[in-house]
Formats: sequence, C-alpha cells, structure tokens
Amino acid sequence: MKQITIDPITRLEGHGKIEIFLNDDGEVNNVYFQVPELRGFEKFCEGRPVEELSSIVTKICGVCPGCHHMASGKAIDAVFGVEPPPTAKLLRELFYSAHFVHSHIAHFYALAAPDFVIGPTANPAERNLLGVINKVGIEIGKEVIKQRRIAQEIQALLGGHQTHVVMNTPGGVKKGLTEEQRDDILPKAEGFIEFAKFSMQLFKDVVLGNKEYVDLILNGPYSLKLHSMGLVDENNKVNFYDGKVRVVDTEGKELYKYSPAEYIDYVEERVEPWSYLKFPYLKKIGWKGFVEGQDSGVYQATPLSRLNAADGMATPIAQKEYEAMYAILGGKPVHATLAMHWARLVELIYAGERCLELAQHPDITGKELRAPLGKVVGEGVGTVEAQRGTLTHHYWTDAKGMVTKVNLIVGTTNNNAAICMSIKKAAQGVIKKGIPVTEGTLNMIEMAFRAYDPCFSCATHSLPGQMKMILNIRDPRGNIIDTVKRD
Amino acid sequence: MDKKKDRENQVLVLGIGNEHLTDDGIGPKVVGDLQKLSFPVPLRFQKAFLGGLEIVELIDGYKKVVFIDAIRTKDGVPGTIYHYTPADFRETMHLSNLHDASFLLALQLGKKIGVQIPTDIDIIAIEIIEDLYFSTSLSPELEEQYPEILKEADRLLREVITVNVAGSTT
Repeated sequence: MKQITIDPITRLEGHGKIEIFLNDDGEVNNVYFQVPELRGFEKFCEGRPVEELSSIVTKICGVCPGCHHMASGKAIDAVFGVEPPPTAKLLRELFYSAHFVHSHIAHFYALAAPDFVIGPTANPAERNLLGVINKVGIEIGKEVIKQRRIAQEIQALLGGHQTHVVMNTPGGVKKGLTEEQRDDILPKAEGFIEFAKFSMQLFKDVVLGNKEYVDLILNGPYSLKLHSMGLVDENNKVNFYDGKVRVVDTEGKELYKYSPAEYIDYVEERVEPWSYLKFPYLKKIGWKGFVEGQDSGVYQATPLSRLNAADGMATPIAQKEYEAMYAILGGKPVHATLAMHWARLVELIYAGERCLELAQHPDITGKELRAPLGKVVGEGVGTVEAQRGTLTHHYWTDAKGMVTKVNLIVGTTNNNAAICMSIKKAAQGVIKKGIPVTEGTLNMIEMAFRAYDPCFSCATHSLPGQMKMILNIRDPRGNIIDTVKRD
Repeated sequence: MDKKKDRENQVLVLGIGNEHLTDDGIGPKVVGDLQKLSFPVPLRFQKAFLGGLEIVELIDGYKKVVFIDAIRTKDGVPGTIYHYTPADFRETMHLSNLHDASFLLALQLGKKIGVQIPTDIDIIAIEIIEDLYFSTSLSPELEEQYPEILKEADRLLREVITVNVAGSTT
C-alpha cells in the first residue's frame, strides 16, 4: 500500500491532514481527513449562569461568532421559556443577514474565485485574492473590502461588537435601532444587493462562460449524491435565522421536517477511531458507512443543501437566481459540490435583500425589545443556519438556570462525513498512475473541501495556494519516492 | 476628528488571539498588561481575534503597528519571544486568516487598493504550548514564565518604538 500525506504545517502542525492511501496499482484506495477538535468547551460552560453562554460562545470561533451568538440566544430563550418580541426578532435577523453578507463576500472572493478567475492549477503565488483583483480590477478589490466593512459596521451597531457580539439577552436584545440608524442602513443594504448582483454576474461570466469550468462542475470528480438539510420558513423558503429543519432525499423528496428542538430524534452522531470530529447522520435511516445514494444516512448541510431542501428563496432577485441556477444545472436537487459556490452567491443576494426588507420593516425601530422571562424550563435548543450549515446549540440547566450540560452540532460537523467523501472522490479523480502529482493536483483535491467553507474553529481552512503542504508519495514499503512541497 | 487624522501619528500595539483558549490569547493578555505602563511615545493598545483582511482595516492609517501574537515553531522553547518584521516574517498563530488572506497577502492587498498600510511593522511572537483547550488561564509552564515574558515584551516594544518612531514623532 502506498501512502500520500498532505500535511498542513500551519497552526495545526502535526494534527490537521489528509492521508491518501494508494493501492499497488497506484490508484487511490482510501482517504482520511483528520482535524483536531478544540477541547473542554462543555466543562468550560458547566456551572455558569446560562445567560452568559451567548457571549462566551462568540469566543469559540472568530470566523462565525455571530452564528454561535444567535443559536445560543435562541437556546437561552428556550431555557427561560420565553419568546422574544417581534422587534427583537427583526433586529436579530438584520444582524444575522449582515453577518451572512460579510462572510459570503469573503468566501467568494478569497476562497472560491481564485480557482476560477486564475485557474485551478495556476501558480499558487497568483491563485489568491490579490490575483483575482489583478484580473478583475482594483475598483472591485476596493468594493470587496468596503462591502465587508459596511456589513461589519452594521453588525457592530446592532451587536455591540463585530466579533465579540453582546446583542442577545434572554427574551430579546439589549438595545434597539433609532430611526436615524435605520435610515443609515437602508442605502447600505441597497449597496449589498448591487454588489451581490455584480458578484453573481462575475461568476456567470467567468465560470459559465468557460466550458472547461462548467464541465468541471458538472462532470468532474466533484459530485456527491447525498440528502440535503436546511432551515425553511412557513412557506418552505430558505431562512437563516428561524424555521423548521427540512431534509430532502437524493431525489429532492421531503424526508423530514421538524422543529429544531426535535433534532435528537432525527440526527445521531457517530465516532470514528481515526477522527477527532464526530460524524452526524440521519438517525431514522441509520449509519450505512461513507456511501452515497438514497439508502445512505449521510447528509449535507451546505448553502447548496439549503437551496435543495427549500422550495425557493423568500426575496425576488434571489428567487430569480435560484430558478436560473437549477435551470442551468438540470433541475433539483443538485449534487455538484462546486455548485456550492453558486448557491452561496444566491444566498448573498438573499442576505442583501433581506437586510433591506428588515431595515424597511415598520417594527424594526420598535421599543419593545425584551419579553418577561418565564420559569426556567431547564433545557433549550437553538438552531440557525450558519454560513457553513445548520448550527444547533443544546443546553441543560438546573432549576436556577446554571448550566449542567452543553451539546453543539456545528455546520462543519454536519458535513464531516460528506467532506471526507468529497475529498476521496476528488483524489480518485485527479491522482492517476503514471501521472505526476503536482501542486495543482493538491489544489484540485483542496477544492473539494474548500467548497464546504469548512470551519474547524478557525483551524483547518485552506486558502488556494496558501496552505503550506507537503505531499509524500510512498512506495509499498513506505519509502518516499516523490515529494510535492508548498512553502 | 476623522479616522485618518486620528491615526496618522499614532503607534498601534495590537494583541491578537483568543483569551478563552489557554495560551492562544497571550498576545491580548500581554497587551492588556503593557497598557498599564508608561512609554516615551503615545501608544494605542488594542486587542483583536483575527488576522487576514481584518488587519487591513485595523491598521489603516497608523504610522506604525506592533503586533503581539502567539507562535508555535518546530522544537520551539515555550516562552521564547521572537521579533520579526514583514521582511523576515514567520507565520504566527493569527496574523494570517486561513479563511480569507495571509498576513503578507493582506498587506499587499491593502497597498494595492490604497489603504494606508503603516511603513513600520514589527511582530513580537511568543512561543506557546496549548491552544486547543478552553481555559482563561495560561498553561502552568507559561504562567510561571509570564513575568519574564511580559518584561521581555516590554523591552522589545520600547526598543522598536525607540528605533523606528521616536525620531520622527517627537
């Protein structure tokens, strides 16, 4: 058995890596994607007043603090048996829509676009955000930074701080929005929509205008036929902040639709001896292994899965783009991993439109920000859609609201099995006997998991051409016969 | 006063890391303690969580910036303090954000789009042990060394602001 190791020498030295095992014929036999897990969070939370958690959880991850803050806020509401007033919900969703704008812009321009604008096997020194800007123009680069910053400013305004968010309090939010502040947000939200439309057009020009890329998306080693999960509103439209969890099967037929608090009846987590992370799967189907298809228990919870699981988008421009995407890709559901980038742009438009809708809502400047707390229920679940997938916080407390137990299922963990399968399929597609393994080969494998925008607590992200890597190709006796190194 | 005017003669000392993740937050911790001391030139102290593109906005317009961050090097001795500049940069824990841009790429990008990237950039990096376990305390070994770490960071900070700044700001 030959072994190829892709070992990122970053903060996770010796931990996060992809192990590729070749058979004696030089073909990929198996792949293991290993990442470390931050430890001790549950112990860190136990014994604290539950209302502290919404601020503490923003320290889990600097990339998606707003997601944890929102899921936590909802779980805490449930612990106190309280439903926030409409204005508080609107403000939370406005914050959260801006969070999506900020994150999706960063992902598209920094992580997705380089592979297409510069090329998947291009020189890694150029295959990055700067390379994209060199190609599309400095003014676009300025807009990327500007729109990100504006989204951050809206989050800071509503959340108290753009990263260490302190917005939520049990039963509502800590501060409201003035008319003047609302008027300031309105043109900014319009700017989000325009920039999102521009980004979508850029994607269409660069990707759909290139037959090679379309072929890569549709026929390359990047498809995975799995069930899809996402939050939907009462009309089965995509919603990031609230709703029911809907799961559709590989053919697009609804399997389940449940309230977040019922997740434990539908999702179970599995442990593998070679991985620090758990592998959630659909409990009612059961674990059938790392296999695709209708009988598999593995599901995806990604931007594309959200669109697959819903009947559409709740805003007009996003709905139009949703329909266009499925028309071009041959109807629902879509299982092309790289189409996640496209779905993310549909969501970017939705997030911009939703910001505008919410800012225009007459109740957004309402004064009732918090509902009176009920009796401590002792248990609460909060679910939102994080950028990377469905995020669930589940807290247990004693009668005084002191935390006794915590369970989190984060977006990337939902996708852990699917990510491993995508990497294996990509590796099988690009590593062939007799063909030299190059840096470009590595990047094409990375593209499989980069599409998921994986977030292992800021740990194992990959930038195109920027993650330091060593790839060792070993003969059956374990001797290194070739090395591909990226410094 | 607008942001640019406010920053143009200022030196920013920026500690980056997560203070809830054992040694990971040593940069912000050191910055919090340095903030209590007196320095010969005015300094602005700030804490942050992430590098990458965030840095472009944080340092925009400052005359000089000194980053204080955690680092892990192969066979590094915990508590060791290193001093880098962008010219001899080594990857620290947070200056790059693998989610969007590396440190050097972020600086290049900032310059490219007209952000006023400080001409003087220094990086003080502290070798750590544990950054995967949630705790607001440092690891025992680093905790024991902390007074010396703070002393050395203070010395280095005074050195870099004296060499690069004192002559031009006073």
